[in-house]
Amino acid sequence: MDEGFIPYQQSLEDEEQSIKSTQSVIEQAIAWFRAHSMFVLAYGTGCGAIEMPPTFTSRYDIERLGVVGVATPRQADILIVSGYCSPKTLKRVIRSYEQMSEPKYIIGLGSCTINGGMYWDSYNTIKKLDDFLPVDMYVNGCMPRPEALIEGFVKLQEKIRANSSEAGYIQYRTRYAHYRANQERLFGTQVQPRYEENFAGMNL
Amino acid sequence: MMSYLEEHYELIHKTPRLFALHVTREQLLDTLHQITTHTSFDTLSQLTCTDWIEEERFELGYMLTNALRSHNLMLKCSIARDKVTMPSLALLFAQAEVMERELHEMFGIGFEGNETLYDFALEGWCDIPPMRREFDTLAYVNAHYDFREGREDNLDVKEEIKKRKAAAKSAKETPSGA
Repeated sequence: MDEGFIPYQQSLEDEEQSIKSTQSVIEQAIAWFRAHSMFVLAYGTGCGAIEMPPTFTSRYDIERLGVVGVATPRQADILIVSGYCSPKTLKRVIRSYEQMSEPKYIIGLGSCTINGGMYWDSYNTIKKLDDFLPVDMYVNGCMPRPEALIEGFVKLQEKIRANSSEAGYIQYRTRYAHYRANQERLFGTQVQPRYEENFAGMNL
Repeated sequence: MMSYLEEHYELIHKTPRLFALHVTREQLLDTLHQITTHTSFDTLSQLTCTDWIEEERFELGYMLTNALRSHNLMLKCSIARDKVTMPSLALLFAQAEVMERELHEMFGIGFEGNETLYDFALEGWCDIPPMRREFDTLAYVNAHYDFREGREDNLDVKEEIKKRKAAAKSAKETPSGA
């Protein structure tokens, strides 16, 4: 009896007890709302995009966890990098990620984002996504089934509710020089505008 | 439609539905024009390239298809590997433009009259074209990408499977022996 809504609800309540000790009531409420309204940018880079329609539609119905697809990065909280990523695609992915408003999270879906997968010796795919962007959750497999993706979302919910300072978007601000150096090394002269101009006036 | 081809060209029967004929670079446009006018092979469905590095040549394959999609005709054209350009077919077949653009990027073949020979899938590529056989893929990957280190318990998969099989076998044999 570990499936269905009631045990899921039970698990949420159990976690609430552990989180309560470190967060104020307001923080807990905000984190709870965040974790239960994850808007995913409707964007697929590789073959993993094939697994997303069944995840979102009636059979697996991830909307019961508050996960909805949105059409523009400005409204999105979560970017799923779904599979292999060529340098040309990565430029678009970075652009999309930088346009998203914070807090924002990245899920790396499939082996290709982790270590290149079956494209480990390809001249046109990147091997480590977290060199270029801060990844919050990896879902491995080739391809991961929708159940695996849902598991990834559940783990990400836990992470969001813990409201850690290790979250990817904070990493991307504080360690921007590291990510930028890797991007410049890969793209050469065709690099994006600098992201840090977006948060120049912010008190970090 | 076959009678015209057999009358005018040295047709090679590859399979009942696939025919081939060899043309030179100079004959190509004229031959294509004649074939599309006089036979039902009227669509260019594929443009392929094979790198025969030992013989110092590329072999281009222009695959023509009829409207029923029942028969295919391949025009084979050999060109030297270094800096030889082909006439573009963009005026005869609109779809040839994007096929030629891909071959230009992957093999470095020029096509006279094609205006779109700029970056396609590879942006800012400054190495030799990657589908040429002298291109060393692994060396390029090692120079441009970082690999993730293996896990700490990085075990040899074949050895582990052997060990597990042996363990399962001995576990099976022990109760029967006792």
